[in-house]
Amino acid sequence: MKRLTAIAALAVVATATACGTTGTTSSGGIYTTIDGAKQIDASAPINPFNPQGSTFVGYDTMSLGWPKNDLMNPDLFYPGLAGSWSATPDQGEVVIHLRPNARWSDGKPVTSKDVRTSIGLAYTQGGSAYTVNAGAAGAAADVVIVDDKTVKITQGANRSNAFLRNVLSTVVVPDHVYGGLLPATFWRTLQDARGTGPAADKAKTEITGLSQKVITFSPRQDVSAGPFVLERVNPGAALLKRNPYFYDAAKIVPDKVKVLNYTGNEQIWNYLVSGKLDSAPFTAVPAAVMARIKATAGNEIRKGYSPVAASMAFNQSRKPYDNAHVRRALAYLIDRGQVTRVASPEAGTPSIATTGIHGSAAKAWLGPGLAGLNPYNVDPAKADQELRAAGMVKRKGQWGFADGKPWQVRLTVPAEFSDWVAAAKSITSQLNDHGIDASVTTSADYTLYLEELASGKLDVGFWLMALGPSPYNIYQRLYGSANGWSLLAGRLTHSPPGKDGNWMGGPEKIGGVNPGELTNRLNLATPEEQKKIVGTLARLTNEQLPVIQLYDYVNTQFVNTSRYTGWPPHDSEALRLPAGVWMQLGMIEKK
Amino acid sequence: MKLSATRDGTRDDPAEPQAAPVAKKGHPVRRRLAGHLVRGLVMIWVVTTISFVIIRNIPGDPVRGQYEALIERGMSPEQAERATAVLYGFLPTGTLWEQYVGYMKALLHLDLGQSLSTPGTEVTTLLGSAASWTILPVLGGTLLSFLLGVTLGVYAGIKRAGKLGDLLTISGSLLHGVPQYVLGLLMLAIFTTLWPILPAGGPVDVEFPPGLNGPYLASLVQHATLPVLTYALASYGGWVLAMKSSVATVLGDDFILAAELRGLSRWVLFRYVARNAILPLFTILALSLGMLFGGAIFIERIFNYPGLGLLLVDSIGARDYALMGGAFLVTTIAVVIANIAADLLYTVIDPRVRTGGAA
Repeated sequence: MKRLTAIAALAVVATATACGTTGTTSSGGIYTTIDGAKQIDASAPINPFNPQGSTFVGYDTMSLGWPKNDLMNPDLFYPGLAGSWSATPDQGEVVIHLRPNARWSDGKPVTSKDVRTSIGLAYTQGGSAYTVNAGAAGAAADVVIVDDKTVKITQGANRSNAFLRNVLSTVVVPDHVYGGLLPATFWRTLQDARGTGPAADKAKTEITGLSQKVITFSPRQDVSAGPFVLERVNPGAALLKRNPYFYDAAKIVPDKVKVLNYTGNEQIWNYLVSGKLDSAPFTAVPAAVMARIKATAGNEIRKGYSPVAASMAFNQSRKPYDNAHVRRALAYLIDRGQVTRVASPEAGTPSIATTGIHGSAAKAWLGPGLAGLNPYNVDPAKADQELRAAGMVKRKGQWGFADGKPWQVRLTVPAEFSDWVAAAKSITSQLNDHGIDASVTTSADYTLYLEELASGKLDVGFWLMALGPSPYNIYQRLYGSANGWSLLAGRLTHSPPGKDGNWMGGPEKIGGVNPGELTNRLNLATPEEQKKIVGTLARLTNEQLPVIQLYDYVNTQFVNTSRYTGWPPHDSEALRLPAGVWMQLGMIEKK
Repeated sequence: MKLSATRDGTRDDPAEPQAAPVAKKGHPVRRRLAGHLVRGLVMIWVVTTISFVIIRNIPGDPVRGQYEALIERGMSPEQAERATAVLYGFLPTGTLWEQYVGYMKALLHLDLGQSLSTPGTEVTTLLGSAASWTILPVLGGTLLSFLLGVTLGVYAGIKRAGKLGDLLTISGSLLHGVPQYVLGLLMLAIFTTLWPILPAGGPVDVEFPPGLNGPYLASLVQHATLPVLTYALASYGGWVLAMKSSVATVLGDDFILAAELRGLSRWVLFRYVARNAILPLFTILALSLGMLFGGAIFIERIFNYPGLGLLLVDSIGARDYALMGGAFLVTTIAVVIANIAADLLYTVIDPRVRTGGAA
């Protein structure tokens, strides 16, 4: 018994010690946050090329620049490791000037060789500017070290206006840690891969074969050029300490950053309610929980632009959704304001009109043209007209097909997305009130939902859209692979409904316009041409309604003013970037 | 057809004519163990095969899920497509039969493959890491609830006509009826929000360097308190009720009456009752210990405790075939081992089993 008492006493003392020491640090304090992009996995290597890697963008993972998420111009960036850059008007050549005082956390300078190695590693992962696919638009053709701090990157013959932003998004890792992953013959192999024929194919396979080696690479310790460097990670959190060699070290206030792990929204709510987080990305929050979060001392909300919208999307290969009149009728029956109030009162605004673009960006892209588009305000009479025009018949107060078959609207959403479930219930309730037999079904999880959607099983579902700021990304969502258009080796092809993931099932041409082709041109067009194309696609989307845009998301972030101040203001372009970048921009100060 | 167990664990069919006794080689316990091992291996193979087929047939495309996740994080469609293509390299390809043969061959080399959700990480590494966080808290919770439940269950059985007995029975029924996740959420709300004296999530505070130092160990204890307590409370009710019922049965046995007539002391009587009543609970305990390798899914989820249960749930969400298979395999092996251990333990603690039921 005595032994038990002693053990218990020791545990109490030790617990008290832990309570006493938690959080006590030197002047800058520990900045506590959440990485909204991923959950922490302590087993993952300290490697930014690993999607689950134990590195954190903006803190210890650095890129050449940080996107500003401008409404219309995706080429606007804050300087990162690149202090400045220049590009020819056609983006054929981009010259990067590294910050002269940039250094790695082991004291070695960041040089052009690091950038070149990082680009080489990016080639093994493929995509964006660094693809070995012959004919791919926007691929880098040459990487030249001009001097220790200057790199010139040339675009291949098939130009894309995404080249500059793809280059600036390059993650830079130290050559003296990662360089060994690239064989000595890598750049020669890369040249071979750009050709055609068996030798090129062999070279491509060789480069792609390196991808797993790069992803699985696990350095023993973090070597960072960012404001912080990983000290340790466990399954519950990651701890980063200041990098004394960071080029703008004077701007960085916290001594450490603690990134807490989460497995579900409720954990983030709990952290917020207990006032633990200095900042956190938005998660869907029930009204009661939101009230408690707001009641916690210091908690505040920052709101800004977020280029994402929620929509109701149709499988047009299913009847009656192949008929634009039916889609329009449904649009006239849905009160988007009510849907937004029910589903996302804090982080959404009712969509002005279905344009394919987020409301704020639509104003910038379309100007006065936006007013000319149909807002589809609630109008049951117009809905009836449209349904009759589609050949639907109302019998005993219920709408059905002309041949007497009943019409049942089955709106499917993933069960785990509470705001979508709430929105879907609001919509079906409104449709039921108008004599349309509508109900909500749920898929067990998002992975299953996506498969059911892609396989054409679902009639109507929810779909994220308006993923700007690049206009190509915005419209690729509506007139890309989900609607049958795919880009292979620079050639755009269209698959029929139900094939190759074409679940939207829209026609290839609508009134002589091929929206997939127009979307693809957005990547190549000049700003003036882009405006014209966006105008055409917005009008077409508004008339045809491949989706009904319901609510545009608002970037809603939580900050706590108890320990730090100097947060990005509302509508700041920096709001969508991690807090580590805010610090780099000199935004976070100790209270 | 009724089968009866013989002393060496083999079974005889009473309907069959009695054959001449055959001399069996080796120690009976060793033969018994060998039989268990063979049956256990067959069971593991069967369960592994069934779970392999089920896992491969779970609807949901992990590649599409990964693509969407990257798009929603702001990646361009081409970047996301390429990134998922790289990840796709980690997925098994070929026909189901080819995959099965490959999987079984790898298993023979103790290779459970690589995780898709944590690319480049061996499944065994992830399982090992999760197991280290699961075993101690769940083991602690199980043993705590067992000791508490069994001890109080004896009192509840003996004093079942009194207020204390009623109180213990009610507490058992109440806690047995409350689902684990409700209990977990209540504990979370009470001890992390209303009266915030314990941490809400994670296994240990990352600020403390790992090792045998006071703050680190204290932080471990702090973080494990709520999961252990929740697990113990959630299981306590079952033990109390089972023990009470077992005690009530034993109290009616002739040997207890005989003991009372012999005027044995209450303490000796208590030992008689407890020792006999606890026997059936040992099997449940052994199986519970085997099941602890499946983790306490709800509790780990609520407290963000990175054990095997949480790993299994996450792997299902990500359709991480290799990880799911590995987690199921570990649970299966643990349950099989627990079964064997329970059987052998029974042989040791129950003389009736040792003598083939003839006692």
